[in-house]
Amino acid sequence: MHAPVDTLDVLGPESRERLALEGLELRLEHVRALSILVVMRTLLIIGTDKGAFLARSDAARTAWTIEGPLFKGWRITAIGRDGGRTFLGVNSFVYGATIQASDDLAKWRQVDGPAYPKDGTRKLTQIWKVQPAGGALFAGVAEAGLFRSDDRGDTWKPVAGLNDHPTREKWMPGAGGLCAHAIVGDPTNPQRMWCGISAVGVFRTDDGGRTWQSKNRGVTVVLEDKTTRDIGYCVHGLAQDARDPNLIWRQDHKGMYRTRDGGDSWEKIERGLPSGFGFPLVREPRRRALYAVPLESDEFRMPPGGALRVYRSLDGGESWAPSGKGLPGEHAYDVVLRGALALDAQDPPGIYVGTTGGTVYASRDAGESWQALPFGAPRVVCLAAFTE
Amino acid sequence: MAHVTVRLPRLLAGLIGGALETTVEADTLAAALDTLIARHPELGVHLFDESGKFRGHVLCFHNEDNTRWLPSLERPVKSGDVITIMQAVTGG
Repeated sequence: MHAPVDTLDVLGPESRERLALEGLELRLEHVRALSILVVMRTLLIIGTDKGAFLARSDAARTAWTIEGPLFKGWRITAIGRDGGRTFLGVNSFVYGATIQASDDLAKWRQVDGPAYPKDGTRKLTQIWKVQPAGGALFAGVAEAGLFRSDDRGDTWKPVAGLNDHPTREKWMPGAGGLCAHAIVGDPTNPQRMWCGISAVGVFRTDDGGRTWQSKNRGVTVVLEDKTTRDIGYCVHGLAQDARDPNLIWRQDHKGMYRTRDGGDSWEKIERGLPSGFGFPLVREPRRRALYAVPLESDEFRMPPGGALRVYRSLDGGESWAPSGKGLPGEHAYDVVLRGALALDAQDPPGIYVGTTGGTVYASRDAGESWQALPFGAPRVVCLAAFTE
Repeated sequence: MAHVTVRLPRLLAGLIGGALETTVEADTLAAALDTLIARHPELGVHLFDESGKFRGHVLCFHNEDNTRWLPSLERPVKSGDVITIMQAVTGG
């Protein structure tokens, strides 16, 4: 028995009309099959000071269930995914930092590395980023260094061209330590990649990681070195356009910047922002919107005016405006850390921010409105959203 | 060889299958720790830093003695001895 087409409200009138014009009869079983394909839910992994939590939405992204904590008592510093494998950077002030991997989010195993050489002077204190790029998987760590895995995270080797860069001995830490926290690949060129290190700057390789060049021209220096102008820049976050890999935005200690030439030159773009200072920055690929969370100056590091606001740019950073309603507009002094702003892949995109006060705010309409998840988390360090 | 009990803090229990203690056979403290790491390699990075020594905030006791004050871990152990790993965190 077939249901009449007009009782099936899963499609809008425009789609139904198009089907009719094409002489197609829509039957209930088609809709059921279709619904399996189109019903998407968001999995939000919330990395906190006391473990990781899994928040799963319903199809409308209005109701959420919470599981966890995974790695109770451990600080979750990075969340990454390569294919179906999920990686967590797991850290303890006492017991050090490792990467844990899982193919099903239930069973986890500690992978072999990354690690600095035994008896060396460098210590690996934190995993800051786990990111696929150029056909491999990369990990950015503190003390600042980059590691590469060619076996989906099972083993890691150092990227010597960056870790032993000619300027390396002059690298200085920022307030968050000396850390490689941003990794950006080039989907059109596996030989090219960018890495952001605080408080050193952005480096780019064009030869698959063998050599790296400082790419900070146009950015204000923070820690000026006496002998080289290549380092001393404090990049906080990088976001890349999905269509043009050379179009990259940079939330820097010294402001919001954009490059159109892969980092050869940077221009400041802050019109509409209450402050150029902040940490997280993401680019939504479908609508090509940018999202950032400005803070009042490096001295105070609080939401400007006590109002937590996610700023959005719909014109590539030419102008910025606070996104919609639902975020606390007064007496909000929690901040959103570098990794605690995430997007899902649905349409319209879901935007998620987690605060140091342990609240996670979600927008299911690209930032028009926000709701707090019914969940009091420990201090949120990082977030990642995946579609299930 | 002596049967020595090794006790771990709860944060590390997951690395030995969820138990808070295990038993190793060894003649010395160093050999007991080597045996522990050989059996549970994932523990190594959590107990020892890049210098090969205990991490700065990891404490190891042999019975009542803090091993930090021992001249060497080449200390004989006997059956019934207990090696206790715990964290040293000062302040708030």
